[in-house]
Amino acid sequence: MFEKYRKKSPWILHYNAGSCNGCDIEILASLSPKYDLERFGVVNTGNPKQSDIFLVTGPVTYRSRERLVELYTQMPEPKVVVAVGSCSCTGGVFRDMYNVEDRVDRYIPVDVYVAGCASSPELIIDGVVKALDILESKTKEMEFAKKLQNKPKIEDGIVSRKEMPRRVGENDEES
Amino acid sequence: MIEMILILLAPVFGGLIYGVERVVRARMQNRQGPPILQPFYDTYKLMDKQAFLVNPYHALLGIMHFVTLWVVVAFVIMGENLLYVIFLHLLSSIFIVLAGFSVKSIFSHIGSNRELLTIVAYEPILILVAVGFYMSVGSFEIDVIREHPSEILSLAFLFLAFLLIIPIKLKKSPFDASEAHQEIVGGAEIEFSGIFYEFLYMAKWLEYVFIYSLLILFAGDSLLLATLLFVGVFLVVNLIDNSTARVRVEHLVKIVLGVGLTLSLVNLVWLAYV
Repeated sequence: MFEKYRKKSPWILHYNAGSCNGCDIEILASLSPKYDLERFGVVNTGNPKQSDIFLVTGPVTYRSRERLVELYTQMPEPKVVVAVGSCSCTGGVFRDMYNVEDRVDRYIPVDVYVAGCASSPELIIDGVVKALDILESKTKEMEFAKKLQNKPKIEDGIVSRKEMPRRVGENDEES
Repeated sequence: MIEMILILLAPVFGGLIYGVERVVRARMQNRQGPPILQPFYDTYKLMDKQAFLVNPYHALLGIMHFVTLWVVVAFVIMGENLLYVIFLHLLSSIFIVLAGFSVKSIFSHIGSNRELLTIVAYEPILILVAVGFYMSVGSFEIDVIREHPSEILSLAFLFLAFLLIIPIKLKKSPFDASEAHQEIVGGAEIEFSGIFYEFLYMAKWLEYVFIYSLLILFAGDSLLLATLLFVGVFLVVNLIDNSTARVRVEHLVKIVLGVGLTLSLVNLVWLAYV
């Protein structure tokens, strides 16, 4: 009944992993009165523990990669990562530099890639709206996993993870 | 009976005020803004989120903050003693300060320190407001104050002092140093997540109900004046929130204690001798 309201409140965490600040300015522009991302319920929280969408800009530098992974792990499930700008998608002009790790998805899984140098606010808004759909499907997947944990469906061939070690042990005893 | 319904629906009213406020603030900035029911969508989402438990006391203190605030609002609606209400509200603020100190995060500690400083700033004024009501109406009971004709003219300076502390309680510019969203990332609420943050989020709504229900005590028994006060102060607070920058916490204490306490003491002296 309330399913459709689930994706109406995405809170954004914005992290600059060594970008030239071009994309950051565009992200802030898309939150500003002219483009107004808040009409989708978006809030720029700045706190990983309370956010759903992780906006990463820039190529990953050696200095920022640990923080990037730490921020990602501090976000509660379900979460979506949006790589904003050419640098975070592919490495861009910084590719193969001695202090740069090319792109974001070498460290954390990325769901939406937003191209452009710098990405325009319209593209960023499109990316965030796309991320909302992914967020909704991830929430459904999480619910499915919870159901499986409570009631494993062995007849379907899907076994819950809670059951798995025990079954492996049983088979060993038999053989 | 109607009191029970009002008490049960108090968080819903607070959520509606918060939702309307976000739209009003957006319209003041010439943008569309979120839907009015946005706070309820937020809580619905927070229910589904994974929750990290830092330590059990941290989560428990957050929930206690919400529960005591609800009790405070219930006491206001039932018309209990104004002094009880103010001191119980102090207890709920102390819970969130303790929660902030119970984790290792440095931002949480800074936020709790600032929260304590703001309590130092606004608590004397709240108590003096209660004393002012006692001197003009003759009772601390909220019931009696509500049935008495409006005393806003003889309490004019106390009313101004009370206006000063509304932005502190609602965490609004220029007095939002204790929360400071981009500076110390929410202060004492930084380590809350998922369902535990939801309690803090709803406590914020109850804070709205509490402060605005204290505000309409100034209107006495006149419903029209109460509505006017509520709408007027609501607009003024949001206008000031949109148009000012954050002041440092030391300046906050200086401004609020310096201006607010002087205004309320002058008013009390005036009530006593004139």
